Amino acid sequence: MLKINGLKAEINGKEILKGLNLEVKPGEVHAIMGPNGSGKSTLASVLAGREEYEVIDGDVDFDGQDLLDLSPEQRAGEGLFLAFQYPVEIPGVSNINFIKTAVNEVREYNGLPNLETKEFMKLLKEKQQLVELSGKLANRSVNEGFSGGEKKRNEIFQMAMLNPKLGILDETDSGLDIDALRIVANGVNELKTKDNAFVVVTHYQRLLDYIVPDFVHVLYDGRIVKTGTKELALELEEKGYDWIIDEFKETV
Amino acid sequence: MSTLTISDKERFLINQEGQDFSHEAKTFIKIRELALKNLKDLDFPTKKLENWKYTNLRGISKIEFRPQSAINIIAEKVKAHKIPNLDAYTLVFVNGFFSPEFSDTAEEKDGKFVVTNLNTAKRKFIKFVEPYLGFQTRAKDQFFVNLNSAFSQDGAFVYVKAQQKLDKPVHIINLVDGDLVAAYPRNLIVAEKLSEAQVVVSYETIDTASALSNVINEVFVAEGAHVQMDKIQNENKNTTHISADYAVQHKDSTFTINTIPANGKLIRNNLSILLDGTGCTANLNGAICLNGDIHVDNQTYVNHAQPNCDSNELYKAVVNDQAASIFNGKIYVNKIAQQTNAFQSNANILMSNDAKANSKPQLEIYADDVKCSHGCTIGQFDDEALFYLRARGIKESTAKKVLLEAFIGEVLDKIKIEAVRDYASALIAKNFNSKN
Ligand SMILES: Nc1ncnc2c1ncn2[C@@H]1O[C@H](COP(=O)(O)OP(=O)(O)OP(=O)(O)O)[C@@H](O)[C@H]1O
Ligand SMILES: [Mg+2]
Repeated sequence: MLKINGLKAEINGKEILKGLNLEVKPGEVHAIMGPNGSGKSTLASVLAGREEYEVIDGDVDFDGQDLLDLSPEQRAGEGLFLAFQYPVEIPGVSNINFIKTAVNEVREYNGLPNLETKEFMKLLKEKQQLVELSGKLANRSVNEGFSGGEKKRNEIFQMAMLNPKLGILDETDSGLDIDALRIVANGVNELKTKDNAFVVVTHYQRLLDYIVPDFVHVLYDGRIVKTGTKELALELEEKGYDWIIDEFKETV
Repeated sequence: MSTLTISDKERFLINQEGQDFSHEAKTFIKIRELALKNLKDLDFPTKKLENWKYTNLRGISKIEFRPQSAINIIAEKVKAHKIPNLDAYTLVFVNGFFSPEFSDTAEEKDGKFVVTNLNTAKRKFIKFVEPYLGFQTRAKDQFFVNLNSAFSQDGAFVYVKAQQKLDKPVHIINLVDGDLVAAYPRNLIVAEKLSEAQVVVSYETIDTASALSNVINEVFVAEGAHVQMDKIQNENKNTTHISADYAVQHKDSTFTINTIPANGKLIRNNLSILLDGTGCTANLNGAICLNGDIHVDNQTYVNHAQPNCDSNELYKAVVNDQAASIFNGKIYVNKIAQQTNAFQSNANILMSNDAKANSKPQLEIYADDVKCSHGCTIGQFDDEALFYLRARGIKESTAKKVLLEAFIGEVLDKIKIEAVRDYASALIAKNFNSKN
């Protein structure tokens, strides 16, 4: 589904991704871990199409398409979704109108008619329940004054509404209490099918108790330096990253 | 060689003469005479004056503008400037002259209020007009105010008696038709004790290659009265529009003025609000969205003369292309005006490298128990928010529109009449995009 090949990207002339490879197949869950500043959010941003980042080498194939050729909105239309590490507050735009516009624009992109209001409301209720997001938040401005946990649940709610092929979750678990964590993880698990896939960026093994990954990768200095199974996450939790970094430095 | 030279101003003033006001009551002729006298010592403002620093009148003193009544006004062309779905008493003025055939007046309707043209009111309702007309416009130093006072042909007169409420809004449509027109419409709005009025004033163009609209709105808000005024400036790109809006408020009254400068060549608004009783509230809002090379200059002056009053100012501007938006907000708090709350906010988004915004708050505070705050921002489009929307599948053009609507929407929401809000929103939405 997603095939990243030798990806190099820079921002403000500073190279952040330094030749990154990753392949994600339908039905898989991948976890990406790694120290602060290693490039995890950069990878997520480049995949979602943030224009500040310049791709200087490599390619990304998304279901047979050259992902890097598409605008952010086209990528979303094709079924890529990024849950932001820091969701943006947008004063004056109501959450419900925002998600309605998004749903209908994605439908339009895929040649589908707009959802009837009734159908939309039904979908909305269902997905709000899935992430236990209060209906009151629907009429508030997007993320404005939302608590940290509400913002993260709002991301998963949007993901549920748009039902993407590939969901990239950038530290959606950070700052969540155990209950919220369970709600978010449960949301993801409900959405999981054999046809879609998730890439979960996290610092904490505890999320992986709920969302069980097929692969765990360690991203360091703009590259994936180690890949393992879910046991690797446990090991990282215990021993930290230094041993991997040392291992990596020896090989180069 | 000896030549008899006359200045541009003198020639300009000569061009305004030739109107016959001799039929007016003495009291009104006096206003004109005083204004003419003031004009002798005044001249067109230049950029040297602090308040005109950012606005260059680009040589309008040399243009041969004259008062001209329009001939052959075509009904269809007038109707095109009505606000759809607005149920209102409509008064139409073309080049500053009243068009009764397109207007519906209400003279002493059920003895509750008068909605008519000022010239009729000067004759029929002199006792309602005389105490108010020109009361707030005596400023000796204001060239354009005196120009209007001297040469104004007509305008709207809205008078609401004590404890009465206008049963529907008044819509004053000011049109310009013809080249080199100087139009001087002048409206007088009086809301007596505990009364209520909603007034919509729009300025539009039928057709002109060059015009000057020099307008005045004079508003009196008596004790406990409520007046809301929406002002829409939608003239063509050949029109210079200079407006002076005055309100004096008495005890416990509320006055709201929403200004929407949408189109024109140059627009200058001078708002001057006197809070002359305790417990007043004044709301001054501006929804500004510009493109092309229009220049818009909003000046506000709120005078807190009495204790316990609130003033709230919210001006927001989106500026495209080479357009310019100026905001200068002055708040004056008299030393007896304790417990004053004065808030002022001016936010600007520049959409292009050539777009300009200037923002200047001026606070003069002589009381000590005062809550005053002001904030101004001049920034670019919020790229973070734009990316967030696009990452959810929303096209860039739609996403921009959504964000700009949200930004300006905060001000548009202050317009209480839905039809007017829709009309203003549509004008603004047209200016979201570049003209280039
Ligand atoms: N606009 C920018 N200009 C310069 N450097 C930047 C910019 N944005 C990010 N960086 C740098 O890129 C590197 C990678 O940042 P990134 O946000 O991808 O890290 P991360 O792995 O997501 O870290 P964290 O775990 O803290 O979220 C960091 O060193 C960061 O300082
Ligand atoms: Mg990050």
